Amino acid sequence: MKRCLLAAIFLIVSLAAAPGAEAPSEFKLKPFVRGSWQDVLRSHAGRPTLVHFWGVTCGPCKIELPLLGQFMKDHSEIDVVMVSADLVPNLPGPTRAMLEKAGLGSAENWIFSDGFVERLRFEIDPAWQGEIPRTLLIGRDGTVTAIEGSAEIPDLEKWLDRQKAAAK
Amino acid sequence: MLRMSLLATLALSLCQTAAHAQMSHHHHASEAACEEADLRCASKVTPAFASDGTLWLAWMAGGRISVASSKDQGRSFSTPVQVTREKLNLDWGPDARPQIVVEKTGGIALAFSIFRDKAFNGQVLTTRSADDGQSFAELQPITASNESQRFVALGLDVDGSAFAAWIDKRNRVPAQQSGKKYEGAALFFTSSKDGGATYAEARLASDNTCECCRLGLAFAGPGRPVVVFRNIFEGGVRDHAVMTFADPATPGEVRRVSNDDWQIAACPHHGPSLSISPAGTYHIAWYTNGKARKGLFYARSGDEGRTFSDPLALGRADRNPTRPHVLTGPRGATMVWKEFDGEKTSVNAMTSRDEGKSWSKPVAIATTTDTSDHPLLVSDGQKVYLSWMTKADGYRLLPIGDGS
Repeated sequence: MKRCLLAAIFLIVSLAAAPGAEAPSEFKLKPFVRGSWQDVLRSHAGRPTLVHFWGVTCGPCKIELPLLGQFMKDHSEIDVVMVSADLVPNLPGPTRAMLEKAGLGSAENWIFSDGFVERLRFEIDPAWQGEIPRTLLIGRDGTVTAIEGSAEIPDLEKWLDRQKAAAK
Repeated sequence: MLRMSLLATLALSLCQTAAHAQMSHHHHASEAACEEADLRCASKVTPAFASDGTLWLAWMAGGRISVASSKDQGRSFSTPVQVTREKLNLDWGPDARPQIVVEKTGGIALAFSIFRDKAFNGQVLTTRSADDGQSFAELQPITASNESQRFVALGLDVDGSAFAAWIDKRNRVPAQQSGKKYEGAALFFTSSKDGGATYAEARLASDNTCECCRLGLAFAGPGRPVVVFRNIFEGGVRDHAVMTFADPATPGEVRRVSNDDWQIAACPHHGPSLSISPAGTYHIAWYTNGKARKGLFYARSGDEGRTFSDPLALGRADRNPTRPHVLTGPRGATMVWKEFDGEKTSVNAMTSRDEGKSWSKPVAIATTTDTSDHPLLVSDGQKVYLSWMTKADGYRLLPIGDGS
């Protein structure tokens, strides 16, 4: 609450002193809770979508994240959804820092925010036991291709080519 | 001025709403029921029976490791003792948990890992109580190395010495500096002749193991520790291996438990379990998602891991079986694992009286409707118990049949 009061004072001072000044940019981490998976599927239906599950303590994820950042930059035609799927306590600070560094700050970013991770995972895929990284490629027609472990960028390119061919 | 006070009211009410939302969301979002150091707030609880039948628990809650004991099979506990005064940045990886062994003389040795930096590099710390768990010595790193260490396993040998094994990343840097590819981490080990007060210099058992899974540890006989771990075989295949030490200072060869062919560059966060019967049978349970098989499996070996039985699938594949644990007791072997049906988690158990050749039908022995720790088995030398921490229902200790 003390911090909040300070923030309130800061807000008042900054609004009074410099109207129209922009707040520092901090991209949104959406809380991934029960039902979020269906929201993700609904909001991207009909568009090729890459959903990537990762975590801050996962070694292979650290290597893969910047490659995915570049892939997203190169392909504005697909939706990129990142889900930080570490066990709760999930840490928003390090999560944001890693995404930002990998060029993924502008992706649609979610963070597991339900302590009952078994239920979250079960909603996504009953057979998934939580190993990360994990990528789900969702085609225009809703077909899901799962990639366990680090994804190879050429494989993602090939999938995207097929999506483009199917759209023609 | 009116505008200012309106703004202030608005800002404050926003703050209150945010604080309220945070509070109501809080318990749901956490894997623990509460934030204090109490047992009911624990996310990980590890049990051990002393030779006098006292149950000891070491748990992780509120950023602390605490210890308490029970003389009545977990119905009531002694006043908990916090191992450290200060809060710790404890390793909260799914497979990390405090380790506890209780010596015949009453000494208690603990080992656990913390995150030592912002990159989530781990450090294994140890401590010991010489006064029946009333106080603990200052924390000591298990090794002087500053590279990441996690997933320590601690075991007590019959002569009272402690054996520890863990996953260690120290060999990555020199390998990479010399231009070599280094996959995963390494299995390191040490032992203590003074019940966990001081440990010998850490030594390498095997390079290129998976970096994010718990280890299974048991003894094939006095002075013969056995470790089961997720190894990285040729081609990045993360299948299980077992190593029998010739003595606590001499690692043995890496023997493959099964050919699951799980080639994956990922953290499964899901390590194996090992128990060795008095007859010398190795019982191993593990998780894989390999090309050859997917799910939870069990196998046994009568020749110290040279050969294994065909893997036996555990649980219902449509109910996501996870976290197997196996323990041999005087009346046979017991195995537990979790299943999830979309709403609730159950712990299923089955038993064997013939060294694991045949098993009883699995029975659900406990359920919960929120998150839970791994189900663990513990024996007081008479009975085998399920030790299970759940967020919704607290800590449970349940006796499991008589091995029939």
